[in-house]
Amino acid sequence: MSSSADAPVAVRLRDVHKRFGAVHALRGADLSLGFGEVHAVLGENGAGKTTLLRILAGLIPPDRGEVIVGGRVARFRTPRDAWSAGIGLVHQHFTLVARFTVLENLALGVRWGGGGFALPLRDVRRRVERLAEETGLAVPPDAQVGTLGVGERQRVEILKVLLREPRVLALDEPTAVLAPGEVDMLLRLLRTQAAEGRCVVLVAHKLDEVLSVADRVTVLRGGRTVLEAARSEVSADLLATAMVGEAGALVLGESAATTAVRRPAPAPGEPVARLEGVTLSGPRGERALKDVALEVRRGEIVGIAGVEGNGQRELAKVLSRRAQPLGGRATVPPDPGFIPQDRAREGLVPDFDVAENLALALHRRGEWRRGPLLLWQNVRATARDLIARYRIAAPSTRSLARALSGGNQQRVVVARELESGRDLLVAENPTRGLDVAATAFVHEELLRLRARGDTGIALLSTDLDEVLALADRILVMVRGRLVEVPEDARTRLGVGALMLSAGESQESSSSV
Amino acid sequence: MSEIIAAFLEASVRLGAPLALAALGESITERSGVINIGLEGSIIAGALASALGALAWGAGWGVGAGAVAGLVAAAVFALFALGLRCDQIITGTAVTMGGLGFTAAAYESRFGATGTALSLPTLGPVTIPLLSDLPLVGRAFFAQAPTVYLAYLLAPALWLYLNRTGWGLELRATGEEPAAAEAAGVRVVRTRVLATLFGGALAGVAGAHLALAHAGTFGEGMSAGRGFIAIAVVVLGRWNPLGVLAAALLFGAATALQFFLQTLGLDLPYQLFLALPYLLTLLALAGWVGRARAPAALGKPWPEPT
Amino acid sequence: MRSGAFPFAAIVAPAAAFALSLLVAGVSLWLGGHDPLRAGAALLGGAIGSTDAILSVTLVRSVPFILTGLAVALAFRAGVWNIGAEGQLYAGALAATWVGLGFSWLPGPLHLALVLAAAAVGGALWALVPALLRVRLGVGEVITTLVLNFVAIDLASWAVRGPLQESRRVFPQSEALALDVRLPALWAGTRLHWGFVLAAVLAVALWWVLGRTLIGFKVRAVGSSPEAARVSGRIAVQPVTLGAFLASGAFAGLAGGVEVAGVTYALYEGLSPGHGYTAIAVALLAGLNPLAVIPAGILFGGLEGGAGAMQRFASVPAAWVGGVEALVILCVLAIHQGVRRFGRAARDGGDEGA
Repeated sequence: MSSSADAPVAVRLRDVHKRFGAVHALRGADLSLGFGEVHAVLGENGAGKTTLLRILAGLIPPDRGEVIVGGRVARFRTPRDAWSAGIGLVHQHFTLVARFTVLENLALGVRWGGGGFALPLRDVRRRVERLAEETGLAVPPDAQVGTLGVGERQRVEILKVLLREPRVLALDEPTAVLAPGEVDMLLRLLRTQAAEGRCVVLVAHKLDEVLSVADRVTVLRGGRTVLEAARSEVSADLLATAMVGEAGALVLGESAATTAVRRPAPAPGEPVARLEGVTLSGPRGERALKDVALEVRRGEIVGIAGVEGNGQRELAKVLSRRAQPLGGRATVPPDPGFIPQDRAREGLVPDFDVAENLALALHRRGEWRRGPLLLWQNVRATARDLIARYRIAAPSTRSLARALSGGNQQRVVVARELESGRDLLVAENPTRGLDVAATAFVHEELLRLRARGDTGIALLSTDLDEVLALADRILVMVRGRLVEVPEDARTRLGVGALMLSAGESQESSSSV
Repeated sequence: MSEIIAAFLEASVRLGAPLALAALGESITERSGVINIGLEGSIIAGALASALGALAWGAGWGVGAGAVAGLVAAAVFALFALGLRCDQIITGTAVTMGGLGFTAAAYESRFGATGTALSLPTLGPVTIPLLSDLPLVGRAFFAQAPTVYLAYLLAPALWLYLNRTGWGLELRATGEEPAAAEAAGVRVVRTRVLATLFGGALAGVAGAHLALAHAGTFGEGMSAGRGFIAIAVVVLGRWNPLGVLAAALLFGAATALQFFLQTLGLDLPYQLFLALPYLLTLLALAGWVGRARAPAALGKPWPEPT
Repeated sequence: MRSGAFPFAAIVAPAAAFALSLLVAGVSLWLGGHDPLRAGAALLGGAIGSTDAILSVTLVRSVPFILTGLAVALAFRAGVWNIGAEGQLYAGALAATWVGLGFSWLPGPLHLALVLAAAAVGGALWALVPALLRVRLGVGEVITTLVLNFVAIDLASWAVRGPLQESRRVFPQSEALALDVRLPALWAGTRLHWGFVLAAVLAVALWWVLGRTLIGFKVRAVGSSPEAARVSGRIAVQPVTLGAFLASGAFAGLAGGVEVAGVTYALYEGLSPGHGYTAIAVALLAGLNPLAVIPAGILFGGLEGGAGAMQRFASVPAAWVGGVEALVILCVLAIHQGVRRFGRAARDGGDEGA
């Protein structure tokens, strides 16, 4: 656990704590970075990796703990301070101006609020050309960024940071959006950067990539540093165990949820939804659903796991009738319930009160309408009933949604969708951002619905633990394809391996 | 005939100049992501202040007073729309209404409601040697009030500023993607406030031109919707200062045309020509006349409300 | 019109905003060398000093404010930034005049109904282009509606100098409407016409539609959060937006038709001295609640109606009232933002302890 002796320490983060409201993101994280090394920070979703990186880059201040640069405690108030200390961050979500050319974006990055009159486009062009030659980061300097693919955009983003000649180069999940060939190129680049004496920090959750490139590894779990070691000293199994925890124990919900599912479903009912050969384009047209087949039956929870951006959002849209597939056949009941992952934007109208938000999905019901009228007495009566049944902490049916806590907002959504989707419920990351109590509530409700046996439930989640704990059957979504997980592979490592292998087989067969 | 054409061109430039000044300022404001519909308020405030300033200290100082008044009106807009993050459209409408109402009230209080038209020291034409001798266009373009030359100079200067300086790059980034600008260390709100004040000051100069170079007097509501027209001019000029100058002269020509149709005794509906630039603006927005795309973050509050 | 509205939002906030603007306005009067109290008394006298002032001045003037106020309130509730009520008003007035001067073979009441219908259709048609541009091409409606205001004014100006000009061809105005297509007076001897009743009934109707019906619910959902309406409500957003946009135009158009049929009896240039813009102040002061648009419209009717008296008896320029309207808007905005921020701060503070 001690810092390595062979590389000079560049930056140290010591005993860092950070809370966001009820979420305790970091509770004693350490990170020790040396020059000339590629340092991987590993951890599951929610382990605190991104928070740690944002503190390193001066985007947010830590609640407790210190950042030590060159042996002195540094206090970063703004990203500018971190930059002055030589730390550059490649953001997970790109910060590029779509309508600017590549060169203009790079110039903006180089200036960095530096005032001054001149716009050194010619100078930047020269430096970019030189840098491109050295690094192999080829970008079309005069193209509009908006016309570029994701991989090219990331190269621009990396160039933007490299042009400022950082001593510490930090990257947040840089491979998440890249095609396989692009990943290899990026990893080679990181190695060269380290060889030139820079310190490269890389946040990732894909083990294989990390193992192929890192010199040292730090593993975070639950906001704490649980392992720091040289790559040569650790095996993949050791790292996986460190990420998951000793016994592979489930952090969440504990036994109540787990045991409920371990028992076979009450009765494997008839199918309520069936997809055959479904295809669909993603937002940028790049990650489509490819030939997806899926069946959901009454009384079962079908878990669909996968890393973000592999097609779950599109699958959720098709299953919940929010999108028509481009190809293939989707047989879905007319009024499926849908718990969207973006609760505040898609799940609720913040300026509507609780009853109105319930009416949002339930207004199609006969007993709530007479001709063109909405029968508000009936709506409010139902709302009062649901507030009681789902223990929504709202003073009345007239409380505005925006005034409720996140957990209670989700209770409103869950109550509504459980009531409206009688045949099928599609839940998309239904516990994202919720605290422990609210998470447990959602899980209990899903299990109760399953036990009733009338409704088929599709649970799409990037949280593997959640899927493992709740689902009767598990499928993995990898690059737009669905792969069923065999019963004997229902473990974290098993599912993880399937994600990787499915990805690899995809890699070899794809012609991207 | 050539005399009539020369006179028509002269009127086009004279009528187009205040639009050009206001629209050039607004184009900078809008490129920073702010749409200031309160421009009309800045123009009328500028007109009144320039009249008062000219009476007190002469026409030259009057222009300065106009610029300051336009800036103050824009500062009210900036306080509400950028400081308090109120809706920009509604705030701008209020500033326009307030500008029109209070200037008219102040003018009547000072000079009486039915008094004879105020006679102001005017901004006389300044003749540029050589250029003004050009046939047909010479006097139309180069024997004008100094404020007209300001518009000529500002258009290329602002184009250079936007496209060839680092500050211009930061301003454009602020209007396109404030998050990206902020990530690059740009102070978004400050940039927007400055751009708004600049636009207000130029609108004030436009008002001064109306009062001191065009009318030679002040009249209630003499801005006559030019602030709104300037917004359309910015669109038709596609947010590019050079295009904005051309579009302003086109609008000016459309206004001038009505007088000349009457002079020539042609019985054409001059309103059609008045409406034409607006219809062109609509077509430009719809993408049928070139492509007019507003800055991506135009009118959106920053920081984004949660 | 939120069914969950609480008294603060409905009464206290607008009252505070109005009081604050009067205070600022009073100070501005005082700075201008006037006596604010005397001016206020004169204004009140002109607006509500007598039955005739109330009926023939304030209420008559409130009609276009109520109708355009409803247009703006509906649009804003639907998430449509319709700044074009002014142009839609002119389009409605033009259509009403055209139908009113023709079709004289129709029986009177039917003809009048057709005039009003034409006004609504004219306003809706004027809103159609920006509505389609927004829904089909994603072009923001602020500039398009604004630009069309000027086109509508030019169009009306052309009409009263061309095809609709009075027969002597001297004045830029239309022939006067025949008696049976004029809106009759509510009480003989006053100028208050049935248009006021129409406006009030429409306000109640709009309130009822937004609050009680499914389509009104959809409009509010789409206006408040199009994403949630689409995903959680499975509401087709574009048709709802289009419909609300056109209905907004119809209200504004009707304002023009009612002015022609109830007050001026003819089309003029300058028929509206900016009612379509004042409407924004009316709607905002009403908190976008159609019922509250009635008192807000009357308030503005009284302000503008009393302005003349204020000018005569306290020699405060009538135009000053326009400035007061602007102050009302700014104060409503500021109080609204203040309440939101305070509310958010209080809630975040509460969450911290959870």
